[in-house]
Amino acid sequence: MENSIAWIFIFPLFGSVACAILGISNRKICYPIAVLSMAGSLWAGIETLRQVLSVNDHTVSYLFGGWTLDAYPRGVGIEFHADILGILITLVVLGVGLLVSLYSKLPVEEETPGKEPLFYTLFLLQVTGLAGICLTGDAFNLYVLIEVAALTGYGLIAIGSNRAAAATFNYLILGTIGASLYLLGVGYIYIKTGTLNMVGIHDIIVAEGLADSATMQVAFVLVGVGILIKMAFFPFHAWLPNAYSNAPTTTSCLLAPVVTKVMIYVMIRMVLSVFGVEFSFESTLWTDVLPWLVVVAIVCAAVMALAQREIKRMLSYLIVAEVGYMVGGVWIYNYYGLIGSIFHVISDACMTLCLFLGAGLILRKAKTTHFDGLRGLFTKMPLTMTGFFIGGFSIIGLPPTCGFFSKWYLITGGMVSQRWEYMIVLMFSTMVMVVLFFRMIERIHLAVSESGENLGHGHGDLGLTDQQTRFDEGPLSMLIPLLLASAVVLVVGIYNQEVVSLIEVFLSDFNLPRGEGIK
Amino acid sequence: MKLLSYIPVLVVGVLLLYAAKDFPEWGSPDAPASKSPVSSHFIANTGVDTEVPNMVTAVLADYRGFDTMFETVVVFIAGMAVLAILKNSGRKKLVKREFEVDAEPDLIVTNTVRLLVPVIQIFAFYVLAHGHVSPGGGFQGGVLMGASFILVALSWDLETALIRFPLNWTTILGGLGIFLYAGIGLLSMFLGGEFLDYSELANIFPVSREMARYHAMLGVEIGVGLTVTAIMFSLYANLSTEGRLQRGL
Repeated sequence: MENSIAWIFIFPLFGSVACAILGISNRKICYPIAVLSMAGSLWAGIETLRQVLSVNDHTVSYLFGGWTLDAYPRGVGIEFHADILGILITLVVLGVGLLVSLYSKLPVEEETPGKEPLFYTLFLLQVTGLAGICLTGDAFNLYVLIEVAALTGYGLIAIGSNRAAAATFNYLILGTIGASLYLLGVGYIYIKTGTLNMVGIHDIIVAEGLADSATMQVAFVLVGVGILIKMAFFPFHAWLPNAYSNAPTTTSCLLAPVVTKVMIYVMIRMVLSVFGVEFSFESTLWTDVLPWLVVVAIVCAAVMALAQREIKRMLSYLIVAEVGYMVGGVWIYNYYGLIGSIFHVISDACMTLCLFLGAGLILRKAKTTHFDGLRGLFTKMPLTMTGFFIGGFSIIGLPPTCGFFSKWYLITGGMVSQRWEYMIVLMFSTMVMVVLFFRMIERIHLAVSESGENLGHGHGDLGLTDQQTRFDEGPLSMLIPLLLASAVVLVVGIYNQEVVSLIEVFLSDFNLPRGEGIK
Repeated sequence: MKLLSYIPVLVVGVLLLYAAKDFPEWGSPDAPASKSPVSSHFIANTGVDTEVPNMVTAVLADYRGFDTMFETVVVFIAGMAVLAILKNSGRKKLVKREFEVDAEPDLIVTNTVRLLVPVIQIFAFYVLAHGHVSPGGGFQGGVLMGASFILVALSWDLETALIRFPLNWTTILGGLGIFLYAGIGLLSMFLGGEFLDYSELANIFPVSREMARYHAMLGVEIGVGLTVTAIMFSLYANLSTEGRLQRGL
């Protein structure tokens, strides 16, 4: 369909308005509206992917307001510019949105009673914003959509408890600083180039040789740091663990997999398509400095994850560590690192989704997500725990989960660029994650509490009553999304070559070093 | 700690000064922003493309109308988020806050406001409708309109204002504003153009393609105005009472 790229955001946008208005008289109607608009949006996304693959240069550009490129100069109107990278990440966002909206029925009713219409309004607008960020081809429109995604995010987190509201305040301050720095950077770009269209900016930078311009250098720093704050890169991560671990279940399931990942997409987009490879990697110091910051980031985040005794908090620190992986993959500056980074954005979204959906189910049935509450959960809810640990194994990087393959490319990238520090730190954090997840398995199967106290009586006795170990799975509306998500983790892992070949088609337009002697 | 926080401020300040050394000449016609094909197109062709004399309005509501749609959505989100956070939160403890005073509405104030409010509201309509030729438009008109309701709430009390503008209506009107804006975009898409290509509306209305853009811009400005009016008042009502919707400031 010709306009499918517009339908991607039309479905959730109108869905959210319908939720807000119709929800006043009938609260039950919001859940089906949310699921249907997410399904429609995903369908439009798949249709757009088909379009992107069918044209020669693998890009679909859509000019809003009919300010077409043949009749008007580029940049007069606002452009949606979908290439393979953009549409892949959009599909990830929409897929996560659909699964979480399916999952959300019970948690939303129970955790935020009476606020379902508002919740789903914000939920759908969040997805609208994130999908728009992935598709837009206009630097200022990107800022507007970042604001849409950020404001809905604040609302979705703070809708829960008072503690969540306090955590949101932190998030709000840091998020606003990040967005302002980005906007300031865009202003500087505009001063030097006179356009806001991403393709236009890139063309002018190349044509006029703006790489040495002080203004452009500062613009690059402002945009870059702004995005790093938004993605919770290590020194700026302080908002993330509190916000995500205190947020309502559905919120953390939606935000944790996609928000940081979409910001990494923005960084890749800025580096490759807006400033260009030569500008970003050759004429700035970032390639020298950032990998070392990444090392610090991953080590600190991994160690802090190790110190947590509560699943959601532990997962939040894992996200911070994973952000370090992906930023590193970009700034070690080579072909394989970038494949790894982009692939890891996709696979990390899938596995984080798995883990948070699982954590939500554990919280529901075990009433706690503290490690001490995990005993005997494999007999009580085997399907949930299988799904959860498929996500966990993918974080560790066990084949055939998708996490293995993306990490493989990241490590290859480190090797090709001879960034040994990055490789070593990846290995280190992999080992930390092994410890993290196998410690959880130990807590499930052994009768030892976190404080070392022995609760059972030996011989596999967990010190639990039959009532507590009886088969008691979570509700199907929550279980099915989790199982689907874990299936996606496996499928993306098994068909990794298909995904990688798509990414390779995208990266073939850029002149990236591939290392010598390695094919 | 306080001293430490000066360091990032200093660093950013130095960066900004450093960037300024490479700026184009102040107000120079040769600056990239002035001579780019985009701005020259706006300056030369706004009237040709859209028949709108006010360039700013045309850029805001038509050339970059997609941005403005999401700016309106941002306003709507702000209202919904505040409602979502504060709804039912303050009901439990009905303690009197220190800035609350028990006083009857003042005779002089209420009678002055009685005279002022209709004038403000008519002026709001004027600002909204006159955005095509003078400074104004949906955001400004909406703010004026919302302020007129806030004035009622300030001079009587919140209940009086809520009788005239119930809170459910703010949500409905806010949503309708977005619906109107995006709906015009969707309608023009159904008529064969891209999303928000207002000129396609000429297929169903007896006007030229340029005048279709002109009139559609008024339509989307009304959408913006509705949302801003509703959310202004909803934000005031919720924030001033911590979500209790009683008494107010």
